[in-house]
Amino acid sequence: MQPAANDDRLKQTGDWLDERTGWRGNWTAVFLRKIPKVSWAYTLGSATLFTLVLQFVTGILLTLYYVPEPQQAYASVTYITNELSFGWLIRGIHHWGASAMVLLAILHMVRVIIYGAYKYPREVTWLTGVGLLLLTFAFGFTGYLLPWDQRAYWATVVGTQIGSVPPVVGGFTKDLMLGGPEISGLTLSRFFGAHVWVLPSLLVALVAIHLFLVVRNGITSPPKRDE
Amino acid sequence: MKPNERAKYLEDYAESKKKGIPFFPDAIFKDAIAALIVFLVIVSLATFVGASLEAVADPSDAGFTPRPEWYFLFLFQLLKFFPGSLEVVGVFIIPMVALGFLVALPWTDRSARRHWTGRPVVTSITVFLFAGAIFLTVQAITAEPPPTADVASGDQIALLYSANCAGCHGTTISASSGTDLYKVIEGGTHDGMPAWNSDLTSIEIDALVGFILSPSGYTLFVDNCSECHDMQSLAESDSTELRRALDEGPDYAPHATLGLPVWREALTKADQAKLLNFLTAPDGQRLWFQECSACHGQSVAYSGDRKDLEELIRRGGGHLQMPSFGSALSPEEIETLALYVTVPSAAPEGAEMFGRLCTSCHATRVPTAPDLETARQLISLGGSHEDMPVWGDILTDQQIDALVDYVLAAAKLPNLDEAEQLFLQNCAACHGNLGEGGTNPTRAGDIIAPISTAEYLATRDDATLRSIISQGQPNFGMSPFADTFGGPLNSDQVDLLVAYIRSWAEDPPVDLPPDIPIVPQGARTAPALYEALCAQCHGASGEGGIGPAYDAAWQASKTDQQIFDDINLGHAATAMIAWGDLLSSQEIEDMVTYIRTLTGEAGQSAPLTYVSSILPIFDTYCAACHGVLGGWTATSYEDAMTSGDNGPVIIPGDPDSSSLVQSLIGTHPDGLVMPPAVTMSQSDIQKIIDWVAAGAPEG
Repeated sequence: MQPAANDDRLKQTGDWLDERTGWRGNWTAVFLRKIPKVSWAYTLGSATLFTLVLQFVTGILLTLYYVPEPQQAYASVTYITNELSFGWLIRGIHHWGASAMVLLAILHMVRVIIYGAYKYPREVTWLTGVGLLLLTFAFGFTGYLLPWDQRAYWATVVGTQIGSVPPVVGGFTKDLMLGGPEISGLTLSRFFGAHVWVLPSLLVALVAIHLFLVVRNGITSPPKRDE
Repeated sequence: MKPNERAKYLEDYAESKKKGIPFFPDAIFKDAIAALIVFLVIVSLATFVGASLEAVADPSDAGFTPRPEWYFLFLFQLLKFFPGSLEVVGVFIIPMVALGFLVALPWTDRSARRHWTGRPVVTSITVFLFAGAIFLTVQAITAEPPPTADVASGDQIALLYSANCAGCHGTTISASSGTDLYKVIEGGTHDGMPAWNSDLTSIEIDALVGFILSPSGYTLFVDNCSECHDMQSLAESDSTELRRALDEGPDYAPHATLGLPVWREALTKADQAKLLNFLTAPDGQRLWFQECSACHGQSVAYSGDRKDLEELIRRGGGHLQMPSFGSALSPEEIETLALYVTVPSAAPEGAEMFGRLCTSCHATRVPTAPDLETARQLISLGGSHEDMPVWGDILTDQQIDALVDYVLAAAKLPNLDEAEQLFLQNCAACHGNLGEGGTNPTRAGDIIAPISTAEYLATRDDATLRSIISQGQPNFGMSPFADTFGGPLNSDQVDLLVAYIRSWAEDPPVDLPPDIPIVPQGARTAPALYEALCAQCHGASGEGGIGPAYDAAWQASKTDQQIFDDINLGHAATAMIAWGDLLSSQEIEDMVTYIRTLTGEAGQSAPLTYVSSILPIFDTYCAACHGVLGGWTATSYEDAMTSGDNGPVIIPGDPDSSSLVQSLIGTHPDGLVMPPAVTMSQSDIQKIIDWVAAGAPEG
């Protein structure tokens, strides 16, 4: 077949799809838009997004083998690490990816502050960003318990006790996290549920808004000294 | 931002976009490169460093120093700056202020300036916040484990502190006054702190309390005492002597020639208290056994209020009458005894006399008389001389508080019969009827060590026993027994069990290794050895006790070789030690032969009579006072049955109503506990009870 004919076929398919989905308009608006000339510091946000995707993929793979139950959680993590093909890699990526995500999110935020990028018209983008940072910390906290090893257990003992300190809501927060007077199978279930269902749902929603606003308002140009 | 500034910004932005680049492919390309680098870094870390996994979570091992993930370290470190009631500042207020700053940033910084040099306030706050977080994180990482200055000097308690506490608390802990540190350490009651009682003995916890209360106590000790004393021996010495040494300074007899300073002036009152708290931690149970039990036994009955009791202890005062020995002893004997209590080393033969005549009131503590003449007079005339010390002058306030707490708690006399039932129902299946342990039914091949040895009971205080019973020891296969942890017992029942286990301390049913009387060389025959070594657990006729009975079933179940091996090698972790170390193989063979002759049936025990069984007990424990002081007289049957300040103390056939029995078992309505110093063995008390119940026959 001639290359020209091939291009033709592709265009026809594109047209067919565009008529039914309007993808060309979106593609142009999102990807072909012009943006100010930017530095490498502007890749921090997308790199954070990339680690997020990486966490989703490896996280889903881990849930296939992980058992959120005190008697078996540790054994299942040991199995993933030592016996499952490439289990060690998946878990390693998830473990280090978490740190990378926190680090990149913080650096991204520092960049935004330095460039004054939270100012008009991007205030709402900034707010969703702060929310995303908190969610990232929550991911880290809830994920820490899941391996059910000594470090996980005792760090959570301390962490949940800290949660009980704030006045008025402290006791409730602690009960909510622990599901009882101390760490038990219920706590593990709750942390697992939060880490795998609740937090990802919130995160996806907030990331969607964040990205929509980034595209809509455009990214800032690096401010000049007199700006 | 004003409307015109906003419009200007949008205009400028549109301009810079025009001069800019397309998002795809230029920016996307940069993003892809960045993502690739991030990916490679993550994969290399995953490959070459990996995700570590510690041992499986063990809720009973509080010794693990918890470390949060690195991005929470700054928060963790911040906590250390806000101890106690201030922790809400570190945990809640500061993080909330920082978060508030972030959330409100677009609305607080409303100027049109965008370059960071144009926004000095925001820039400096940001730098401060991030520099602070980085500083705290670095501090947390490098401060692990924070060594205390004293570790290098070999201070055992500082080592203990740095191993167990410093990981979270740093080098010092400032506790607000009135905090019961012992309780905090033992139970782990405040933020994030686990209970330590399964990892530390009560003695170690005491030491830590002393260390925390008086971080300078150690320095004071090193500066003032360590040249001559090692800490352990000072910590074990009597509080009265410690206080005297401090108060009398160079006049304190053992210090007389050393040219020591006048401590009262050299050390401030606060420093003195610190030093004493450091040496003798305010732990009521320990103070009781160190200072009070010699005269008051296991506990005193007390039902008044706390203030009065504290007053009573602080004031002290005389209340025991010593009998006059003038007529009972020859002048030579009095001379020996007087010499012994003045200069013990000058009259070694006095030790025997003291043991015979004085220990029932003075226990093992030999009172020291200032000179021979005083000693002579005291012994011959007796009278009121052994006053209760004025503890208010001796103990520190913290120590008195702890002691009062303990006395009040211990004064609630438990019903030991009910406690024994509870023990038999709940504990005996694994721990044996006498706490002797045995094979672990929940774990094959495991042996449960005895819990009724003097050593076990001395190293675990009531709080520790209580929490072991309540929470179980899952790592040893013991399930929790308190209903708060899903077990069958309420807290009163747990307390009863603790009291029951504690009641063994008077006369531990199992001692490990058992007390081995010296067997004279000439008498190392199997029956003599059996009586000396084996009978204490297996019964004089092999009828059993702590160890199994040598009845027909047992005899049939063992070969001679098995019996030989059992004797030779023993059973790990039980009172059955490996006797092969002490007996020759010929002796063990003879022993096997001898054991084969036993039937496990105890000989018909002779009926209890005053002459055969009771008089010897009275002579040992009671006659020193109850023969000369009036009141009840124990020295003859006639007197024993009829004398007494308020009528006879023995009501034949009714031990419960006999005030003799009541004062022995601590149910006397006046709170009398007899004998006052030594504790009578359970079997002797039982003999007296049985004898009274049998109608108190004379013989």
